[in-house]
Amino acid sequence: MNHTSQSVSILLPRSLREFLNETGEVTRFGIRFFKDGLLPPYEVKEFFRQCFEVGYRSLPLVGITAFIMGLVLTIQSRPTLAEFGAESWLPSMVAVTIIREMGPVITALICAGKIGSSIGAELGSMKVTEQIDAMEVSGTNPFKYLVSTRILAVTLTLPLLVVLADAIGLYGSFLAVKIKSATSFPLFWNQVFEKLTFTDILPSIIKCYFFGFAIGLIGCYKGYTARKGTESVGRAANSAVVIASLLVFILDLIAVQITDFFFEL
Amino acid sequence: MGASSENTAQKSPLPSKDKSLVEINGLRKSFGSNHVLRGFNLQLGENESIAVLGQSGSGKSILIKCIVGLVKPDNGELKVFGKNINDLNQRELDRMRMEVGFLFQSNALYDSMTVRHNLEFPLRRHHLSKTQLEIDSTVEEALDDVGLLHAIDLMPSELSGGMRKRVSLARTLITRPRVMLYDEPTTGLDPITAREINALMIKVQRKYNTSSIIISHDLASIRMTAQRIIMLIDGINYAEGNYEQLEHHSDPRVSAFFE
Repeated sequence: MNHTSQSVSILLPRSLREFLNETGEVTRFGIRFFKDGLLPPYEVKEFFRQCFEVGYRSLPLVGITAFIMGLVLTIQSRPTLAEFGAESWLPSMVAVTIIREMGPVITALICAGKIGSSIGAELGSMKVTEQIDAMEVSGTNPFKYLVSTRILAVTLTLPLLVVLADAIGLYGSFLAVKIKSATSFPLFWNQVFEKLTFTDILPSIIKCYFFGFAIGLIGCYKGYTARKGTESVGRAANSAVVIASLLVFILDLIAVQITDFFFEL
Repeated sequence: MGASSENTAQKSPLPSKDKSLVEINGLRKSFGSNHVLRGFNLQLGENESIAVLGQSGSGKSILIKCIVGLVKPDNGELKVFGKNINDLNQRELDRMRMEVGFLFQSNALYDSMTVRHNLEFPLRRHHLSKTQLEIDSTVEEALDDVGLLHAIDLMPSELSGGMRKRVSLARTLITRPRVMLYDEPTTGLDPITAREINALMIKVQRKYNTSSIIISHDLASIRMTAQRIIMLIDGINYAEGNYEQLEHHSDPRVSAFFE
């Protein structure tokens, strides 16, 4: 058995071995979160502090991006729809696009950049300067206090951010529609909700929990396992963003396939 | 092999075995092919202060990290307050850690908290003080001990190296540990600040009756603070004795440290 695994490891290229090793480590880290992090005693105060840091402090960036996204999407889509005489479909088309895909994915990518890098750098810096060791020596479980609270906070606040981003994006779309036509605010919202169904909203909210979990997990893993040296702090932040962003796309692809399988989009 | 036997007769008397706060026998630790500790022994008695001296990378920091359970030894016996570290569950280990203070080389102050919150952290975590009034007075007393009461609401980034070290010492002492582990307490400090830290270490040892293990390269600091010195060379207790004994040791590998 041992001989076989050795032979396999020799046959595999080094980069693939490293990738598989890293994947295994991240999985183990995630399992530790479910095993240790979700059991009492709970770090309630730190959890709410992280929710504030992750959610409230990301709101301006997410809001501005969503507003511009709604505005630009509407302005760009109008000429094509006008060509077919389907301008009246603009609000519903933009609404479906934002709620199904653009809102969750763009918000998740912004959060991967902002929150993933900040968690990776913060925990990486704590690791390098022995703050995590100091916490452990003082009799506090640093995994529970630092990691579990952050992963849980990102997982639970990202869907809320996405809902807000969707609303702000649609408001941006309304302003773009209003520039060229005399559509009233109630009429716009009426057209938006006319085409939106349960299968548009629910799967997109559910996938946001997975996006949030991936961003929190990767940010924490990269920071918590940073090696000694200041260089590793930058590397932890950078790789947290890159891997979390990639995971968002992969999870989105899986989510679309599952949604299509169950609801026939 | 080692030169420890040469000094055994001249050493300051060791505490009796049952009074040992920390007892290490045959401790071994390797990182791959790098055998850092190859059977290290140590006994720390009450009110005793031992310095461990050795080259960089000789395993001094690993040794004290083993004592608080941050690093798991490969082999050997490691008892703290008479209990084998390997037999302790997480709760028992945390309880033991409350009685062992660890002063990190990098100070390890929590960047995101003020000095006050840094000191409050261990008290709140373990409910050592019941009311806010008790917490405030304990924090103020600890800061007063290190002469930094005026810095209570500053952030660690606003402190100088010496001040950070003193705050770190205050945070370590706030739980009233019986044993203090100092990892390079004066490294990177100017001679005057280093002397202040040394004086502070002696002061807290007398005031709170703590025993200490000091990891250091700073001979002046060791001379001032340690009653006994263990030379850690090749992963073993290569030589033991007080400062004067080791300074005039016949083995050049030992005396070279004091030149």
